[in-house]
Amino acid sequence: MTNQEKITLIEETLENDGGTLTENTQLSDVSEYDSMGKLTLIVLCDDEFNKKLTGEQIRNFVTVKDVLDFMG
Amino acid sequence: MQQLISFQEKVILITGASAGIGQQTAILLSNLGAKVILLATNEDKLIETLGLLNGTGHQYFCYDLSNLEEIENKVKEIVTQCGKIDGFVNCVGIRSRRPLSLLSIKEVRNVMDINFGSYIELVRCITKKGNFNSGLSIVGVSSIAAQAGGPGVTAYAASKAAVEAAVRCLSKELAPKNIRLNTVVPSQINTPEYAKLLQMNGGVDNVLNRQYLGLGEPDDVANAIAFLLSPASKFITGVSLPVDGGYLSS
Repeated sequence: MTNQEKITLIEETLENDGGTLTENTQLSDVSEYDSMGKLTLIVLCDDEFNKKLTGEQIRNFVTVKDVLDFMG
Repeated sequence: MQQLISFQEKVILITGASAGIGQQTAILLSNLGAKVILLATNEDKLIETLGLLNGTGHQYFCYDLSNLEEIENKVKEIVTQCGKIDGFVNCVGIRSRRPLSLLSIKEVRNVMDINFGSYIELVRCITKKGNFNSGLSIVGVSSIAAQAGGPGVTAYAASKAAVEAAVRCLSKELAPKNIRLNTVVPSQINTPEYAKLLQMNGGVDNVLNRQYLGLGEPDDVANAIAFLLSPASKFITGVSLPVDGGYLSS
């Protein structure tokens, strides 16, 4: 999966307006990235990438690229 | 002096018995004289729990309760080997935290099968003639999520609410057989599952703000279960007893 495909997947899952996220977007600027958004990301990483995301890891994410790198 | 609660020579089946509330309940009931039957999936943990029990005559059975179709045979095997059942404590359950957008129907079915379906099937099989002694008491472990709800726990909360609703029906249906059914409704309890949740949330637990008696211990729930299993509660059936440090009243 390319980084752009992963970004689209994140946008769809967070119900973010399509095309608004880039690799450099600061997660703190994404209004949908609240506590439920973080839970959504945890479940998404498990379901789609078979990766367990811990609370500590998610707190260390700063930009969308950090999430993409974790997804692998 | 008369002892309020004793389970001398009583056979009590506990599912989900290898950790947390189930394990603590097994230890307490063994201390009160019961012959405890442990049922769970992980044999190593079952053996470990067996080693923590007081007295003799306890047994364990490895079984995955998601296999609903074979529960009847497993109950027959248990009754044949251990005798008729006097008490049943259902501690088995899976926690599911998923936002609605990622809550598949497959996940809903899985949670409902294990948390609700297995409970109903176990109760159905245990309450068949010849499988229980008069005075049978059944205690299910619910959750405050069933009554208070919470974001991301739809399937889990619904499965626990289903158990509570079933108990209100079955307590009436089975009363003529001298069988009582109740649930305990714990809030945040200091178990391995709670430790995982806390780790996920970075050590923050907002529920505790409303739980004004602080974090509960497995013993707190085990004590309530022992009471509801015992003849000391013989006039109580069909209820959901909060063991919640005040959460539901806050």
